[in-house]
Amino acid sequence: MSPDAASARGAALRAIELKGRMMLVSILRLHTIDAAELDAALGARMAEAPELMRDMPVVVDLEGLGPMPVPDLLVALEHVRRHGFKLIGIHQGEIATEPLAEASGLPLLVLGGKSAAEAPARAKPAEAAPPEPLPAAAPVPAVHTPTRVVTQPVRSGQQIYARGGDLIVTGAVSAGAEVLADGHIHVYGTLRGRALAGVRGLVSAHIYCRRLDAELVSIGGHYRIAEDILDGERGENRLVTLSGETIHITEI
Amino acid sequence: MARIVVITSGKGGVGKTTTSAAIATGLALQGRKTAVVDFDVGLRNLDLIMGCERRVVYDFVNVINGDANLRQALIKDKRTDNLFILPASQTRDKDALTTEGVERVLGELAKEFEFVICDSPAGIERGALMASYFADEAIVVTNPEVSSVRDSDRMLGILASKTKKAEQGGGAIPARLLLTRYSPARVEKGEMLSIEDVQDILSIEMLGVIPESQAVLNASNSGVPVVLDEDSDAGQAYLDAVARFLGEDRPHRFTTLEKKGFFGRLFGG
Repeated sequence: MSPDAASARGAALRAIELKGRMMLVSILRLHTIDAAELDAALGARMAEAPELMRDMPVVVDLEGLGPMPVPDLLVALEHVRRHGFKLIGIHQGEIATEPLAEASGLPLLVLGGKSAAEAPARAKPAEAAPPEPLPAAAPVPAVHTPTRVVTQPVRSGQQIYARGGDLIVTGAVSAGAEVLADGHIHVYGTLRGRALAGVRGLVSAHIYCRRLDAELVSIGGHYRIAEDILDGERGENRLVTLSGETIHITEI
Repeated sequence: MARIVVITSGKGGVGKTTTSAAIATGLALQGRKTAVVDFDVGLRNLDLIMGCERRVVYDFVNVINGDANLRQALIKDKRTDNLFILPASQTRDKDALTTEGVERVLGELAKEFEFVICDSPAGIERGALMASYFADEAIVVTNPEVSSVRDSDRMLGILASKTKKAEQGGGAIPARLLLTRYSPARVEKGEMLSIEDVQDILSIEMLGVIPESQAVLNASNSGVPVVLDEDSDAGQAYLDAVARFLGEDRPHRFTTLEKKGFFGRLFGG
């Protein structure tokens, strides 16, 4: 290739950039395609945490279903969509999912067997990845989401969720307020309300607060309510961590 | 253009109507032309506190529905110049407060008055939302006890998101705190939250601290706003709050026990 041609090709390629990144993805496993049951279950899940679930990207796992007619499966997928989830692929496993993938236009993805929360780095790269020689499996960090910074006090009855990243609250979190993050939570005022870090399963998430007097603290789905937080654990400059299934509260 | 001020709290019985009457009267005493509007449709009280209940002909809902014009419904206060009351309807409910109707009435008031004081009902439902929706600023009334403070906190959150200004991207309206029924003696005994406790939780500017006072009860019963009882501690505290509201810098009074009490405690007496 002549130098001119090479530089022209380089210029053309600069318009885009193709990169491999690891990211956590939620899997939605269907145990039925019965419309009524699905609607009830999806509706209940969405109602639990609408702010968290709405537009959540999910990969659908049909392993629990066994062989099913494609049109029925398409209807089931439509139910999932209608409840506010964003379908980004179909898990490819034992059962034949190619016809459904073709009919629905969704890519087939091979996902690691471990819960992604436990071993995010172990998830295999998607089989449907482009055939370019990409450093897809390189241990690059997850897609960077800017930290959400809240400079107003979080008042009773308010709920703030930092999707995909960390949350910083510069003021207080009042009793009756709730702050959630997929990553860590920092509260530079008094935490009197509820704080839930790593809500999508990141067990290494932390909660830091200048003063802890919380109603509830939770990490990766494990939680402690106010009644279980000892007087000695309340106080200035606290760090909340999870080890195993136990929430620890220590002074920083 | 008038300043539209909502007096709100979330919790009931903390002194919103007493405060509305006192602030409105205090502003009028300062020569500011003021209207005070009762948003508590169905549970009207402001006219009683203002002592004009026997002169109500038309009310707020009549004006909203076009049954009467504003001039017919406004009651001129007999004691204080520059002060007018728009009473609530007792026979209707809060659904009668339509957004368009409230906006039109407040718009008309804003043309004629310097201050429009909106006396909000308790709760966080339609009546309270309508009272604050068009406000330029808020005075949040709180008692020094946990449930009242929690409800005020909730209300501050609502003021930050559910006013016209907030919905149009203008952010929260300025809100200041008025702590009522404050008793330094009971704070001393640990039976009541202190000013510091309340400010620590709510973290907003303190417009005034009104002491627990027999004068307030007397004022309500006789239908005379407490600021007209100039010798009373509560009356003076309200007048201070009005002065601060108008930009004057005044120290807070009636917030500590008298010296005698302090030495009494010191020496175990």
